[in-house]
Amino acid sequence: MKTRSLAARLSLLLSATVIVIFSLSGIALYHSLATQIGVRDDAALLTRIDQIRTLLRDEDAITLIQQKPRLFANMLGNTESLLVLRFPGQPPLIVVNPGQRPIPAITPVPADQPLALSSVHHLAAADGTPFISAAALAPTRDGNGQIEIITGRLMSDRTQTLNSYRDQIILATALAALLVAAISVWLVRRALTPLRRLAAQADAIDVRHLAQRMPEQAAAELQPLVAAFNQMLSRLEMGYHQLSQVSADMAHDLRTPISTLIGQTEVALSQTRSVGDYQALLGSNYEELDRLAKMIDNMLFLAKAEDASQAMDLQDIDLAQLGEKLQDYFDGMAEEQSMRLEMTLHGELRADPQLLQRALANLMANALRYGDRDSTVRVFNQGNSLMVENQGSPLSAEQQARIFDRFWRADASRHQGSSGLGLSIVRSIMRLHQGRCEVHSEDGVNRFTLRFPSVGCGH
Amino acid sequence: MKILVIEDEAKARDYMRKGLTEAGFIVDVAENGQDGLFYAQEHHYDLILLDVMMPGMDGWQVMAALDKQIHTPVIFLTAKGTLEDRIKGLELGADDYLVKPFSFAELLARVRTQLRRGGQQKLPDVLQLADLQLDILKRRVERGGQRIDLTNKEFNLLHLFLLHPGEVLTRTLIASRVWDMNFDSDTNVVDVAVKRLRQKIDGPFVQPLIHTVYGVGYRCEAES
Repeated sequence: MKTRSLAARLSLLLSATVIVIFSLSGIALYHSLATQIGVRDDAALLTRIDQIRTLLRDEDAITLIQQKPRLFANMLGNTESLLVLRFPGQPPLIVVNPGQRPIPAITPVPADQPLALSSVHHLAAADGTPFISAAALAPTRDGNGQIEIITGRLMSDRTQTLNSYRDQIILATALAALLVAAISVWLVRRALTPLRRLAAQADAIDVRHLAQRMPEQAAAELQPLVAAFNQMLSRLEMGYHQLSQVSADMAHDLRTPISTLIGQTEVALSQTRSVGDYQALLGSNYEELDRLAKMIDNMLFLAKAEDASQAMDLQDIDLAQLGEKLQDYFDGMAEEQSMRLEMTLHGELRADPQLLQRALANLMANALRYGDRDSTVRVFNQGNSLMVENQGSPLSAEQQARIFDRFWRADASRHQGSSGLGLSIVRSIMRLHQGRCEVHSEDGVNRFTLRFPSVGCGH
Repeated sequence: MKILVIEDEAKARDYMRKGLTEAGFIVDVAENGQDGLFYAQEHHYDLILLDVMMPGMDGWQVMAALDKQIHTPVIFLTAKGTLEDRIKGLELGADDYLVKPFSFAELLARVRTQLRRGGQQKLPDVLQLADLQLDILKRRVERGGQRIDLTNKEFNLLHLFLLHPGEVLTRTLIASRVWDMNFDSDTNVVDVAVKRLRQKIDGPFVQPLIHTVYGVGYRCEAES
């Protein structure tokens, strides 16, 4: 993902918004101004024709035209205008045309009709400048028939006005956009200051300061982030402490057998012994080493199980078949301890067969190891929950809470060659299956339960 | 049967040479990948034991070079038991792998399996040790002409012992081969099973066939 500055993105968006809004309102204003000016100009043109009509009606037109042509020229008042008075079909009586424009051929408004805005004709000069014109007939007192008044005006001043207005709008829009961009960059930067502070604070947290937490923030939007971050830190801290604890426990648990190995080997080598003694020493050493190797295996299994991406081979397992296999394995051991093994597993379960077998075997080994003599170990299931039950000394609340922890043993004297990892492996296996394991102790019956999720694990 | 051991760790090299020689194999050793590859190309071996983690040319490189030229079965020995590692080795053409730490009995069992597979030796249907006979097809066991009734598991256990006469079998190996239990569950299941088998096989007779190797496991042979 390409990272882009929040400030840059926001100011870009804001500037674009400003440009769009300013442009739209500018266009609207420009158009309404142009319309208004156009109407005003059309009305002025009509007024002029009206004045001339009135004049011609009241005066002797021909005489007036011949005596005072300047009057008409003055009435127009600028070089952009045009005035032609003529009797239809005859040469004009007067032509005021400083701009030398062609006389527009338009139908005159009859003498008995009033003038309206619709009588104005909108044309354009060769260079595109608008040219408005109107024509009307007026009765004369001294001429024969009606006189035709043609007038027009080139709108170059209006075009100029509108053009400069348009340029102003464009300039204002551009300036506003730039201003908004600059201001928004500054504002966003200022608003993001807490975020930078947050980054600096997060930077200060490392393994030695895992207990540190991010301080409460003033900005409401940052609160959830800080809270989530702090929760993550809490989880990390807990995990880290657990890991340190496990490493320490492991070192302790490795110390004992290694110390035995060193000690007894040293003693054996300190003088010459009989072959039997040497064999006994080597055998004992082998036992200790074998225990170490198994412990390392189990530790590695647990470490891998922490990693949820471990490949799981989920299958539909026939529980009755699995029960038979486990019964086969543990029967001798149970008989040896004069205990009975009652297997009533049935139905199907979706799980990893190797892992499920391992979890159940660990629970059963545990039940057989700590169960009372002459009692029965029961293994049964209710749907997706598998139970292993034995009769034995009750487990206290503290024992129940910690029994699945690594290297934890109910009491040191009950350590009969077990690594103290069996039950934590059970817990890891259940976590991998997104299930739970529970222990329940009541009336001298200790029950371990493996609860598998009712739907197949969502992998 | 000639075996080549390629392993950089001197102690490991020595005990493997010793153990394999005593088990009746002719053993050559190489202490690094280059030498190992050279030996493998110059001589004929029935099997190669290859350590993965070696300085310089590691086991993977040796395996890649070997695979192009020689079709000797290879068992690789690795301290990393991760799935990716195992798959990598098998993809490079190894026939089997063992994760350190492994017991020598397990190594020996794997070696024999590979050599049988290579030589396509057909196993006899009747296994014999002293006056004990085990008929695999009829699932019958006799000693000194007397029929002995064994449970299914006891039969399989005895079968395993007779397939490896004179070899020490560890509890882990027995649990894995007889019950298909491939993990440690801190139990004395194997001891109990062997004890019962002993009562039936050795109990009524003078000469014991199943011997305890203190601390390690059990061995089945006619002379104690």
